[in-house]
Amino acid sequence: MILLAYQFDWSVVTDRWQLFVAGAWIDLWVATIGFALACAIGLVNALLRTSGLPFLSVPSFVYVQVTRGIPLYVLLLWVYFGVANITGITFTNFQAIVIALALTGSGYTTEIFRAGLGAIERGQMEAARSIGLSRVHTYQHVILPQAFRIVVPPLGNTFVGLLKGATIMALIAVPDMVFLANELNVTLFTPFEVFAAVALILVVMVLFFSAIVYVLERRLRIG
Amino acid sequence: MTGLYLSYTFDWSVVPKSFEFLLRGLGITLRITVLSIIFSLALGLIVALVRMAPGPLGMLGFAYIQVFRALSLYVYILFAYFGIAAAFHIDLDPITAGVVSLTLLNSAYMAEIYRSAIQAIDPGQREAARSLGLGSITTFGNVVFPQAWRIALPSLVNQFTDIIKDSSIVAVIGTPDLMYQTIERVSFYQRPFEFYTTVGAIYLLLVLIVAQVASRLEKRLRRHLA
Repeated sequence: MILLAYQFDWSVVTDRWQLFVAGAWIDLWVATIGFALACAIGLVNALLRTSGLPFLSVPSFVYVQVTRGIPLYVLLLWVYFGVANITGITFTNFQAIVIALALTGSGYTTEIFRAGLGAIERGQMEAARSIGLSRVHTYQHVILPQAFRIVVPPLGNTFVGLLKGATIMALIAVPDMVFLANELNVTLFTPFEVFAAVALILVVMVLFFSAIVYVLERRLRIG
Repeated sequence: MTGLYLSYTFDWSVVPKSFEFLLRGLGITLRITVLSIIFSLALGLIVALVRMAPGPLGMLGFAYIQVFRALSLYVYILFAYFGIAAAFHIDLDPITAGVVSLTLLNSAYMAEIYRSAIQAIDPGQREAARSLGLGSITTFGNVVFPQAWRIALPSLVNQFTDIIKDSSIVAVIGTPDLMYQTIERVSFYQRPFEFYTTVGAIYLLLVLIVAQVASRLEKRLRRHLA
């Protein structure tokens, strides 16, 4: 067998950089929508969890364990093929990846919101109420601003995790940057260049958002 | 969205019929997971020590952690299995490609766990050991590390759960793991809901067992530390 020397051809990437950027943009958007849904579900779930009512808090606990314990890949195929098959609801591939990310992410965000709300001392609520603030005003001016400072950095990390996870959308043919790289690899056989490009873009995006989280963490630190 | 047809009849019997395939896949999944855990525990410690070294070596460790943490396992595997293989003629078999990818990703996470544990040890202990005449390697091996290990262990074990979950991605390059076998059975029986629910439950069970071990370790080790 003759091993031909691999000819590096970076023009495959540089000639199509707009396509790579467009693909990365799709990863970013899908991750953002998934994250927004995960935050909404997580906040509601955390309130159920801390409600003190077992018929609300137990399902919420189970939900967290299940969504955090199942691989994103399994969730994705379960939503896209499994649920579609039994209910007849056919999700588009975009919807499927967003739902899968929202499910995985909401397991983590629930725990983050729970910790954030739990970290505010009970005495603060009592003090605010005793000086005449209503329950809503207490939440608005006393509890939530403090809880917000606590939850922002870990939520940022969850977003970064979802952004990394979002790259598997290529497996159900959402045309993101990895899907593009796969296509180029098959048609032009330049695996090193295209996957290196994808890796570089992902590292840059992740480091950018990690840096933002780091800065926020320092700014929001109490005291 | 077409109308709902709630007339779907479940057929769970396809799952026990596929028992043999799933078991074989589970074996591969566990092998990949255990190998990746061993390698990333070792590599992670080395990276942590490099990270804490002064000067350019420390910067190198920092760069390793930042970059290797930032990639997703899917991108790792595509790059290792297709990119590196084609460019440098290093043909990794699918299992090795999976283990290498999981190790590179998780060693970066574990390095940070080790580092924060080592930094949690009072510097007075190191100074005391050194002033008693112990060498720096002996001090680390016999005084600092045994204590840091206890602090790090629960977090390290928690990291194992991510390895179990991420290992499912190796199926995309044809590694016959649990996920791959499941996808094969789905295309054979056309029963995605039954199979993906089952495989989800299997992964969940593995993760819950490991998480339980982590929380027990945490309780026990905390008692000794107090």
